[in-house]
Amino acid sequence: MRTLGPDLLPVLARGFSLLGSGGGGTTTLLELMAAQVVDGPVDLHDVDDLDPRTPCVAIGFAGSTYLLAERVPPPDAFASLLAAAERWTGVRAPAVCAMEGAGLNGLTPLLLSADRMLVDADLMGRALPGIDQLSLLVDAVPGAIVVADTGGGVMLVDSSRAGDAESLVRSSVIRAGGAGAVLIAGFTVGDLSVHGIPGTSSRALALGAADIGADDGGEARVLGRGRVSAVDAVPDDAFARSIELDGDDGTLLRLVARSEFLAVTRDGETIAASPEILVAIDSVSGDVLQVDALTLARHVRIAALDAPPWWLASTERLARVVPAAYGLSGLEVGR
Amino acid sequence: MTPLDLAALLAHPANGGVRVVVEAAGAFAGVVVAPREAMLPPSGTGELAALTEPPPTAPWQQDALVRRVRDRGFHGLALSGAEVLGAGSRRLAVRLGLTVLEVDDAMALARAGWELVQGRDALTLGYVRRVAQSIEYSASHLADLLRHLSASVGHGVALIDAEGVLLEAGGHLPEAVRAAIDVGLWQDAVSVAEGAAASVRVDSPSRAGLRLAMFGAGLSPAQLSALAVAAEVAMPAVAARILIDEVADVSDAAVASGLLREFLEARDARDPDVEQRMSERGWRTGGYHLAFRIAGRRRLETLELLRFVRRGLATLPVDSQAVTSGRGVTGWLSFAEPPAASRLDEHVASLRRLHDGARRSFDVATGVGSLDSGAGGLLASIDGAVDGARIAATRAATGWFVRVDALGIEQVLLSWAGSDTFVPAAESLLAPLAAHGPELLETLTAYLDHESGVSATAAALGLHRNTVAMRIARAQELLGIDLTDTDARLALHLACRALR
Repeated sequence: MRTLGPDLLPVLARGFSLLGSGGGGTTTLLELMAAQVVDGPVDLHDVDDLDPRTPCVAIGFAGSTYLLAERVPPPDAFASLLAAAERWTGVRAPAVCAMEGAGLNGLTPLLLSADRMLVDADLMGRALPGIDQLSLLVDAVPGAIVVADTGGGVMLVDSSRAGDAESLVRSSVIRAGGAGAVLIAGFTVGDLSVHGIPGTSSRALALGAADIGADDGGEARVLGRGRVSAVDAVPDDAFARSIELDGDDGTLLRLVARSEFLAVTRDGETIAASPEILVAIDSVSGDVLQVDALTLARHVRIAALDAPPWWLASTERLARVVPAAYGLSGLEVGR
Repeated sequence: MTPLDLAALLAHPANGGVRVVVEAAGAFAGVVVAPREAMLPPSGTGELAALTEPPPTAPWQQDALVRRVRDRGFHGLALSGAEVLGAGSRRLAVRLGLTVLEVDDAMALARAGWELVQGRDALTLGYVRRVAQSIEYSASHLADLLRHLSASVGHGVALIDAEGVLLEAGGHLPEAVRAAIDVGLWQDAVSVAEGAAASVRVDSPSRAGLRLAMFGAGLSPAQLSALAVAAEVAMPAVAARILIDEVADVSDAAVASGLLREFLEARDARDPDVEQRMSERGWRTGGYHLAFRIAGRRRLETLELLRFVRRGLATLPVDSQAVTSGRGVTGWLSFAEPPAASRLDEHVASLRRLHDGARRSFDVATGVGSLDSGAGGLLASIDGAVDGARIAATRAATGWFVRVDALGIEQVLLSWAGSDTFVPAAESLLAPLAAHGPELLETLTAYLDHESGVSATAAALGLHRNTVAMRIARAQELLGIDLTDTDARLALHLACRALR
């Protein structure tokens, strides 16, 4: 167990930004919202510290992170979702963790920290775009349900098929205006040690304190530095883009991205790819950059953070997060 | 093994439509064809890889293709659709030293590469076969034959002599290349920075010093020696064509000349046979005509003059004809509608330029008739032009050029004064002068032509002005005529002209 205080919020936020791999949204809004709730020390429980049978919920926002900043969610954004989930499961969940331990969603559990125990775990270990990429749904944990905001109402999905949850939650979020709250319930803290990714917040705290992108960036592997020379569309995929960098050492670096950075190639060779966490850091300001902040002539450092081991544990899990899962071929590392 | 030069490959006429996308390496060890990168041999030794399948569309896949082809040891990559490669992939190719080519037909490229590296005999044979196909083609004239040769060989073809290019087809032979050709040799291959050419002497009895050259940019020594053989094979056909064209020219000129003579001699009596033959030659009698005659002031090569005139007429934007006739060339411009006065003046000015051009090579005088319509009008206009040319022959002051329309009253008077009744009268009027030799009549005529100016007359005849003054006084005395009397002066002037 460790203790979080308002002073650690910026470090935590930078750490989650790094885990965002270029996606996950900027954390400023959630930092401000969390600061309203966290006015003193808050306990951050390790999975092993709690009774494994403790019911738990995971929360986060889905859809466009830009819309969240335009239409700020109310402080009780998760209240109706919690009520629906507890009515369905029949128990109150005293523990809460992050649905996505990256970007602004890494900070969302803090919104419920006043009356629930904060668990140091999440269901992705990094930023990922799909509800069907939640670890509980990938492993098809029995009883896990997904509740989503429909913009005034709630929708609850109880299905063993991850694709159904993705498709229904996506429609629900669109009905809610493009961005909305999502809650996963029907699991226990004990499930998180096997079907979740424990320790994500601790990792964020460590990353946030380190100087990622420096030559000795600790955990990070520096892939290159360079200036953005082109941002190209990718034929056959309207959501993908290829960001071309003139490497400082003369090499040609290319970042392939959808909503997150998915791969880095150097001189035509893939040197890192999802589920490795790929980070672009502004060389001047040191800011962690989102995909769309990589604009022409910006000078950036590119680094890779190790993938959450959970994703590498089986080929079935890996197949959900490699670039090929998004329909992008030819980005296998080492080819 | 001879390296395959990129320039030579680009100059090869059947290279499958190769264009350069990225130029890094300039020479290859050969060409290897494969459907895709994965099927290339794993260890290339600087060859050009020609892939038949189109490149991938995603930018990182294009980078990977460039990298892998280079990693396999190739120095070049030819693709159909290489132009889709993005700026980053192209920069990568430059950095890795991989030349990237766009090609329409990779198999043709491979064949061209093989010919240039190993199959020199095949290269030569290919050219010779294409020359042979041109010989089979029945060309309508020499330029047509050269054009056809150039199209089938795939390089420029030119007929040159020591001074310059006479005819060329399929490109422009740079002056520097032409100047480098040794006209003394039977066969010569030159290569300078501006281009290269293989040439061979043309044995033609009528025109000496001609050479047939095949040229292009970036030709390798192998291509040049193959082209030299092709030029040798093509040469007899060209020489024969030159002879045939000359014979055809002479006979055609003779036929046209005879037809014009018949037309002029028939005057108003229409001969349907003549009209039929005229229309067969494309001589329109309908519409409006402006005739001209360029006559030699002494003996000249009328056929040469005709060629010159026809070349000049071809540049004018009107329907025109030119025919040898006697010691000169008679021709006319035809119009469907009467041209405006200003347009007509422009056409006369064009004829004047043609005349000035002709005078650089020929001693000629030119007369231009008046604009007239119909067959009768054509006759009248030609008559006017013939008269004009006769007048122009003595008119150094107007540059040996006379437009009959501009003569006005003089033309009228002259035609009247040339009548049968006037000539005897004029002879008797001037009889006293004739008795004293021709110089008095000559001097008097010139004196009257020059508005009674003694100095001008002296200058025109090349005499001292005292001599002129003395001769005029003597003539006046012999004739007993007062030259200040305008009537008497006019009569005397006409009489002088009629007898000249």
